[in-house]
Amino acid sequence: MDKPSLSQYFGDSEVPPASQFFDEIGTSPSDMIQSVYLGDSGVNQGTGDLFPHNMTTSFVQPNGSQESFLNVLPTVSVSTAVPTKNLPDPSTFFDTIGPEPQISTNKNNITNQVTLSEAMDGLSIKNQPVDKEEQRRRDAWLPNEEAQKTLLKAQSSPNGSFFPEREALTMPGLVLEEELADALQEVAVKYLGVSSAGSRGVVRAEHVSRDEAGLRELLRTGYLRAAVNLTAVLLSAAGQGAGRMHRATKHTPRTLQLWLTRFAVMLRLKLHEPLLKEAEPFGDFGKPDMFYQFYPDTYGNRSGSLVPFSLRLLVAELPGHAGKPEEAMDRLLALRHVIQQMLSNLRSGKTEDGTETLASEQDKIESIRLWTGRETRVQHSIVNCAIALKEYRLAGKILSSLQHQASSPGQKRAISSALCRLWLLAGHIKAALAHLNDAMESRHHLCPTPDVREYVDMGLVEIANGKYQEAYNNFVKAADQEPTNIMVANNIAVCLLYMGRLKEAIAVLQKAINSDPERGLNESLLVNLCTLYELESSKTNEKKLNLLRMLCKYKSDTIPNVLECLKLS
Amino acid sequence: MNKMDTKEAVEHLVALKVMRLTKPALISPKIVTCDSKDLPGNILNNYLKDDAVSVTQMETLAAGQFLLLPQSFGNIYLGETFSCYVCVHNETNQPVQSVSIKADLQTNSQRIPLTTQQSQSPMMLDVDETLSDVIHHEVKDLGTHILVCEVTYMSYYSTLASFRKFFKFEVMKPLDVKTKFYNAESDDVYLEAQVQNITTGPITLEQVSLESSQQFTVKSLNEIEEGQSVFGDITLLQPQESCQYLYCLTPKENISKDIKLLAAAKNIGKFDIVWRSNLGEKGRLQTSQLQRMTTEYGDVRLTYEMLPNKVTVDEPFDFKCKIMNASERTLNLFMKLRSLQDSSLLWCGISNRKLGPLEPGKFIYVNLTALPINTGLHSISGLSLVDLFLKRTYDYDYLASVYVS
Repeated sequence: MDKPSLSQYFGDSEVPPASQFFDEIGTSPSDMIQSVYLGDSGVNQGTGDLFPHNMTTSFVQPNGSQESFLNVLPTVSVSTAVPTKNLPDPSTFFDTIGPEPQISTNKNNITNQVTLSEAMDGLSIKNQPVDKEEQRRRDAWLPNEEAQKTLLKAQSSPNGSFFPEREALTMPGLVLEEELADALQEVAVKYLGVSSAGSRGVVRAEHVSRDEAGLRELLRTGYLRAAVNLTAVLLSAAGQGAGRMHRATKHTPRTLQLWLTRFAVMLRLKLHEPLLKEAEPFGDFGKPDMFYQFYPDTYGNRSGSLVPFSLRLLVAELPGHAGKPEEAMDRLLALRHVIQQMLSNLRSGKTEDGTETLASEQDKIESIRLWTGRETRVQHSIVNCAIALKEYRLAGKILSSLQHQASSPGQKRAISSALCRLWLLAGHIKAALAHLNDAMESRHHLCPTPDVREYVDMGLVEIANGKYQEAYNNFVKAADQEPTNIMVANNIAVCLLYMGRLKEAIAVLQKAINSDPERGLNESLLVNLCTLYELESSKTNEKKLNLLRMLCKYKSDTIPNVLECLKLS
Repeated sequence: MNKMDTKEAVEHLVALKVMRLTKPALISPKIVTCDSKDLPGNILNNYLKDDAVSVTQMETLAAGQFLLLPQSFGNIYLGETFSCYVCVHNETNQPVQSVSIKADLQTNSQRIPLTTQQSQSPMMLDVDETLSDVIHHEVKDLGTHILVCEVTYMSYYSTLASFRKFFKFEVMKPLDVKTKFYNAESDDVYLEAQVQNITTGPITLEQVSLESSQQFTVKSLNEIEEGQSVFGDITLLQPQESCQYLYCLTPKENISKDIKLLAAAKNIGKFDIVWRSNLGEKGRLQTSQLQRMTTEYGDVRLTYEMLPNKVTVDEPFDFKCKIMNASERTLNLFMKLRSLQDSSLLWCGISNRKLGPLEPGKFIYVNLTALPINTGLHSISGLSLVDLFLKRTYDYDYLASVYVS
């Protein structure tokens, strides 16, 4: 058959589309292959009733009726209705990839709490009290030589006498002009009819305020396409809308935050093509107008870049998502190089750009902490890129170096566990086992008995060895510890299939979805379940539509491609 | 057999589905993160954290734990195992009697039955029930393979009905093994083997071993002390990359004693290679018996032994010369030693020495002494053997060198 390929779910370009799998095997060029599904037409009217008890009852949400669901919708959708108290402390997320916090956590907690609640309340960033050191640290970036020359000129010219060359300007504009419709809603209308689809409460861009708070509201409630539309409105208002590409424009931290939001959401929705085009004018954000020094009249002697670090990283990674990981790799290595230069300045007691001396030891510690954290994040992206390229040696090398820097047994262990899986991908079972043992060793310092992660890694090693029964046993032990863990249930189902127990595999996945619809209605899990449905029987449509109904009930507009996910044709 | 048997459009009571079970994939979510002070705050970070596919505390690394079922047929290579899920489903709202599956694999040369006994014995399928089987087959042929699945069941008219489905796939070559032989003076044979990955993805060579033939014992030269591979921890080959292995094969004593047997010992042995690819997908290949080119020894085989590597100028040194009769007749030899004009090594001792008759396959040792008169690397030359019966002269120049310091 054709080249091997995984579906577009993870953008592996060398793979044939998922939906074609069964068809492909049956419709090869030679006519000796026939797709045989034949049902007795006399029993067709019974199709809908084939699995009545199983399906309908199992898909009813255990608590909370449809009405109460409708009531809450306009404000916070279920899919991401996370109560504030459940939200993690913002620092914890990046701490998992950066160094441990070294300063007293008290101060941190307070500021983070403030930020968090402000973010939750939709307060814009400029309302926060300005901490100059923090601002410098966060915005720091080194201009390249060319930009440096222009920036010096801008700074030394008397007020109003600096006219930059066109080459010095970043001139973005919208490419994706049409308004994106709610994709789930569209599919629901097509397959379930207006009446069923209508029960879905839809928040549209018009129902939220047309500002950053509204944008966050759309993100929080999972109306991602509406969020993309709103960024288009806001960017157009800021003079960077459709048709503005290649024209001079005024950049502010706000416009760049809008671009960040837009790009991040487009990436999640896998709108790669327009995203690449819209990101193109920004290049590597190296143009002088991306720096505060370019605008001495507005920002005084503030220095650093207007570009949020997350945007820089996202755009560097972008080619990797569009099938060009080599290009992403070059860009990421360039990012890492600049960060390492800034870190070396910081370590010698200077500011990131090396122009001034750091005021306090505290500032130095905080700055080094921030930038080593960002360096680690870039390293992770480089590893991801290497994995996409199947350059497992490089990925392994970087992960091992990160492991040497890891400061806690927890981090060391997490990296050993990742290394174990990396080598499984490469088929190097011996190395995978060695890292699994390292991970166990580190785990001993944290808790005496294996936990979910360890059991799962053990199960994955067994799968690599082709021992599905043993793998299954390990996954079941993991499930004993966390009965609601969706990933564990999914892996159990996969094992069951390889053990020849298709029906049980399907039952496990359906149960996982029913017990936690919000997490269980996961794209990849749905792909697995629909793959099993298609293997089981020719009459899968009703089951897939049931899943679609559940998606409508529990999910907003977060899934890039609903049809592909449910293998609906 | 290449066409489906039932030409008329019969609608069957059961449906047959087939899925190739390659290893599942380990997948990761779309990793999109922001600083908490960015416009989206932690909202996108929380998406990532809450994603069932992400690994807790390692959300930003794409080395996931979540298994995804194969979504395409993929490639298949010689030496891998073809695994397949075969499933028959009752598509009606009544039980179907006497359902059975039979699966065969047709290659260019043979037809191999794959189904287990269990699924071949007819059974009743209740409403919505399935009859399934997981079949495995280690692929031993290249080229086109056709999986033929036949389902038989009892129709409503109490007659047996059946239909067949065909699935075609190509088996490709995974590795290219190139070999080179060196026959050493000492009768050892050195074998250099380049194993090249010609699949489309990276593979890990789990085991590469040379099983020697009856005539030789093998020593692998690919490890440093304590069994550590010279390739380090990682024998990962990207597509088109090769790994080079070196082996030393020593003829067994009974062979090395007999120059005839030695010349006839052409079979060296065969390679046994085990590799793994995506998530441990395993393949195993054995090469056919490797053949070396044996050296032609002529009538007489002369080798030097106990020759020092390094000697001091102006100090005579001793070594031995082994002369073996490789011909079919008795030789009557005498040895000439001539110090050539430009030679830096001068022979000491008697020239034109008679060595006496030498039977076929027998050998004698002669002690020799030479005096180096110049420093540098010099070859031993000027030795000739004359067969008195046939008046034939054999010259031996440049057979060995010594370093004079």
